Parts: sequence; structure tokens; C-alpha cells
Amino acid sequence: MNPNTLLLERALLPNLAGETPKGTSRPIADLKANILLVDDRPDKLLALEAVLTSLDQNLVQARSGKDALRQLLKRDFAVILLDVSMPTMDGFETASLIRQRPSSEHTPIIFITSIGNSENHIARGYSLGAVDYLLTPIVPDVLRAKVSVFVELHRQTELIKRQGEQLRRLEESKHQREMAEVADRLERETRRNRFFTLALDMLGIADFEGRLLQLNASWEEVLGYTESELRSVSGMDLVHPEDRPAMQEQMQALRNGCRTAQLEGRYRHKDGSYRWLFWSAAPFPAENLIYIFARDITPRKQAEAKVAMLNQELEQRLVALTTINGELEAFNYSIAHDLRTPLRSMSGFAKALLEDESSNLTPLGLEYATRIARSANYMDNLLLDMLAYSRLAGADMVPEQFTLDEPVAELLGLVEKEIRDHKISVEVGSPLGTVFAHLPTFKQILTNLLSNSVKFVAPDRPAQIRILTTRTPGYIRLSVQDNGIGIAPEHHEKIFGLFQRLHDNQTYPGTGIGLALVRKGAERMGGRVGVESEVGKGSHFWVDLPAEPPPPDGNENPSRRRQS
Amino acid sequence: METRILHVEDNPDDALLTAMAFRKAEVPAHLEVATDGQKAIEALSGGASIVPPACVLLDIKLPSLSGLDVLAWIRQQPNLKRLPVIMLTSSILASDVNRAYDLGANSYLVKPSNLEALIELAKTIDLYWLRTNTPPLVTT
Repeated sequence: MNPNTLLLERALLPNLAGETPKGTSRPIADLKANILLVDDRPDKLLALEAVLTSLDQNLVQARSGKDALRQLLKRDFAVILLDVSMPTMDGFETASLIRQRPSSEHTPIIFITSIGNSENHIARGYSLGAVDYLLTPIVPDVLRAKVSVFVELHRQTELIKRQGEQLRRLEESKHQREMAEVADRLERETRRNRFFTLALDMLGIADFEGRLLQLNASWEEVLGYTESELRSVSGMDLVHPEDRPAMQEQMQALRNGCRTAQLEGRYRHKDGSYRWLFWSAAPFPAENLIYIFARDITPRKQAEAKVAMLNQELEQRLVALTTINGELEAFNYSIAHDLRTPLRSMSGFAKALLEDESSNLTPLGLEYATRIARSANYMDNLLLDMLAYSRLAGADMVPEQFTLDEPVAELLGLVEKEIRDHKISVEVGSPLGTVFAHLPTFKQILTNLLSNSVKFVAPDRPAQIRILTTRTPGYIRLSVQDNGIGIAPEHHEKIFGLFQRLHDNQTYPGTGIGLALVRKGAERMGGRVGVESEVGKGSHFWVDLPAEPPPPDGNENPSRRRQS
Repeated sequence: METRILHVEDNPDDALLTAMAFRKAEVPAHLEVATDGQKAIEALSGGASIVPPACVLLDIKLPSLSGLDVLAWIRQQPNLKRLPVIMLTSSILASDVNRAYDLGANSYLVKPSNLEALIELAKTIDLYWLRTNTPPLVTT
């Protein structure tokens, strides 16, 4: 016998219920085979038993075919010795019934028959599934040898069956032991771990199906369920239906070996409301566990929702304000425009009086007409500036790249007369550089700055104007410097406001819109303006214009950059 | 035969000032005034029997029928479709300017605010539209 088989047998023995080992030397004793002896004659049964006793197996006797079938219901047999000639139900009939039962379908049958009938019986016996036959009178050694073969066969089969069964049980108990060990260890580790028990965040360990095995007290605080309630449900059941697909995806990733997963999702509180949890998890594949760290971010989410709502409200208000602003601008434009029509009449007919009817007017009448014409002219300039300002505020400005030198030269040409009249010396830097701006608006800005410089000349010294540029980060700074009357520091901010004037209209005529136009125009182009000046020491106005094109992802609608 | 210009203008002051400016500019043409769009269409109606003016000075803001409506009507008349139409208006709205050109205006002039500029404009119209420009055969 294979020594390994013996060892294995020894290992198995204590587990076989109701059987005790008789000694390591004869382990087979515990695998005794059942042998069914079927004969109607007690003396023959006795003879068979006498021969087979030495095999040390379980010998079961049956006095008829019917009795044999009854015995077969009770247990399995390694072999059946079946007498052919029996009253009422003979051996063949019995064999055929034995074969019809699934449990005994393959049980070996040895027929016992007398020599006189042998040929006929043997043939019939084989046709009924007999495996062998014995002729009477029995030769004891032959009987023992034949039965021994089947006993051994049965023993081996049984052994293999039991080995398989035992292996299965071993596996099962090992698995259960391991699982119990893991659970114990988890329990010990987590209960012992102060970080786990004291953490404000939710800490937990789940299996690969998302069922929580271990969890700290924070879960109950956040979700309202007791620890045992949480252990008895799958984590997925608590997830908001809308968040489930993302959650399942993350779980699958973890099972597939993804090292960490993070997600935000809503979990149902015991009271039916939902809490936002942010969780981060890492798998421990050796034990099919997932370590989970979760945090209640509901307050943050609520705050975010509130901010989003406020932003939406702000957006709506902005849209409303933009609409109102647009309407106001249209209104301003329309007012300024419509006021020019009667003004045209006032101005035109005053001129007509002065030119065509001067001979019919007294000197006082002429003076009145002159005053009407002058006022109408002033008002017209005012309205034109208002229209320009209105247009500037409302227009969409698409920036283009241009060099400053050409427009500066062109605009200096427009004030050539004033420059000559006031004997102003003009100095222009070269080259002035390239900017990304709106050319018409730039021209308007420079026109206004130049007209201020030629207007506010100091009476006591030769007038000078310098135009130059310096580079600042992202900008080209265009400076218009004069040595005119200057501006007191307290007025430096005021002068850029609408309708702000520092002088009476007789000394220095103007509408009070020019510098407001300069600021508005610069801001609309993404630039800025400023002034450095002291009374009596001249003024230095500067405009910063973008030196780079606007970022392509910036506001696609330039009018949204509009500033008040 | 004296050159005629149809001036479509609802504001009597503007009509008078324009006439004054044309007189001061010594433009050898007579300005006929139509004070609204309907009267302008009446003045131009009559088919082949009427002699169209040399050109039309057309304001846009008019009661009921606007200057643009009148322009569209003119361009639909077989005997007037090539008639030079000069918009003379105070509107500088891009939408008005573009619409006028789309409808077939030949020129777009903005009303000046003072008399001197208006006289200059009258001289320019005389020099360009009445002397320099080659007029079309208005009637087919």
C-alpha cells in the first residue's frame, strides 16, 4: 500500500463518526465492506459465512430475493453473492430487480450455481450484469479470492470518496478559520486604534461588496443609523440613485486593483434626508477588503449651492442691469440727438439774423443774437461730447494691432493751428511702439488730451508738449506732458468724472466731458489713465494701452467687460 | 428749365434753413418741400407723365411713412428706380445707415448743426450731384 494513503487514512480516522481506530496497524478495519449473502438455505449461508469470516468484513445474510432487496435499501454493498435457485423469486429475477434501482445499479453480483446448470446459468447471469460466478460446491479459497477483489475495490472507492469529502471539509474549515481570524483581527485592531475610534471623520473597512465590517462612531453621528444597522446593509443601498453609477464604477475600479478612489455622493440618512459624503478608499486585495475614509461635506455642499444660487441671482441682476444700462444709453443717445434738432434752428436762425438782417437790428439786438448763436454753439459741443461718450460706453470694441506713431502724427496735424498760434514746441518720441487697442477710440483719447494741452497753456512761459512712450509690464504707457497751468492734486481724480470743470467757460471753454471720455475709452480698451500734475508746473497725462493681444479664452463678448 | 430738387422734411425749421443754405450757396436749383412720406410719394406719382426731380433729399424720421419706406417705394417704381436719392438726416445709427444703402440710397449725409456747415453741404451737393455726377436716364 502506498504509504501516503496510509498517512492520509490515519488523518481521516478520528473524523469518522461512530467509529474508533483499532490500531494504526490495521486501519482498513474501519473501512469494512458490506457483503450480502443471499440464499434460501440456512446451511449454505452458514457455509459462505464460515468461508468469508476470515476476511473480517460485515457479512449480511438474506434468506430470499425479497429479503435481499430490503437489505439493499438499508446500505450499500461491496459485493452480492446471489444463489440462482431460490423459491418464489430466483436469483436472476432478484438480480434484474437489483439492477433496476439506481443505488445498486453498479453493485457487483456473483452468482452461485450448481455445476449441472452451469452453462445455461452462466450465460443468463452475465446477460443480467453478473460480474462473476461460483460453482457449487464452493471452493473456499476461490470464494475468498473473488470476494476479496470486490472488497478491495469497494475499499479503494470508499477511501477516495472519503478523502475527497475530507479535503472539502478541510478547505471549508480553513476558510472559515481565516475569515474569523480576519474579522477578529479587524475588530481588535480597530477597537484598539485610538485614531479609528476618536476620528471625527468616518473611518470604515468594507468587504468587496461594499458591506461595512468595521466602522467608527462618526458614521452613526452623520447618517443616524446604529453600527449594527450599518453593518447589515450594503453601502450601495444608501447611495442616492443618481450617484449610484459613479459609485459602482469606483467600487469596480477598486476591485480591479485601482490603488485609490475618491468620490462625492449623497447618502440617505435614517431620517430620509440625504447627506453629502466625500470619501476616499483604498483596497487591500489580499483580504478582499476596502479601507474607507469618509467626510460629511453637506455643509460645504449647501454653502456651494447657496453661492451658486446667489451667483445666479447676481447674473440675473447683471443681465437686468445691463439691459437697463443699455436702455439708459439708448435714452441718452436719443435725448442728445433729439436736442440737436431744435438747436439747429436756434443756431441757424441766429446766424441768419446776424448775416441777413443785421441792417435791421440795433447794436443791442445784434449782441443778443450773438449770445444766442454762441450758446447754441456751446450746447451743440456739449451734445456732441455726450453722444461720443454714449457711443464709447455702448460700442463693441474689437482690439487691433497698430503702431502709435501714425495716429499721433495725424492728430498733431489737426491741432496745428493752435500749436502755431500759441507757439508751442512739440517733441514726439520715436518709435512710439505697438499696442492692441481700438484705433478710433485711441484717436478720440489722444485728441482730447492734446486739445487740453494746447488749451491750458501757461501765459507766462513758452509752451511745450512732449509725447513719449514707456514700457510697463503688459502695457505701453503713452504720456502727454505739458508745461501748462497744471492741476491741484485734490482735483486729480475729479477731473476724470463726467461734467467736471475747474475753470469758468470764459477763461477756458469746455464741456467737462473730455477727460471722462478719455477714461471711459481707456477702460473699454482694457487700459487705464492717470495724471501727475501740480499747479503751475504743467501736467503729465498718461494712458496705459495693452501691449499684448487679449487672451483668446477671455470674454468672447467685449461688451461684457463694460465697466461703469 | 430750372433744376428741381425734392426735399422731404417734416421739420419746417430744417426745411427753411436748408432752403436758406441752398440760396446762400447760390445753388441754381429750386427746392420743393414734401412734409411727410405720403406727400413725397404723391409728388413723385403720376407715372411717365411727370418729370422727376434731379434728385431727392430724404429725411428718415418722418411721421407715418418713414424716409426708408419712401426710398423702398421709389426703387419699386419703373420710372423712378434710378432716381438719385440722397439721405439727409440727423440719424447716425448704423442700422439706419446700412438699411438706407441696402434699399438703394445713393448717398447718406448727416444734417450739420450750424448754418455754415449746412451752406458748405449745399455747395457740395451742387458740385457733386448736380454738376460732376453723370445722372442716369431716370425713365426707361
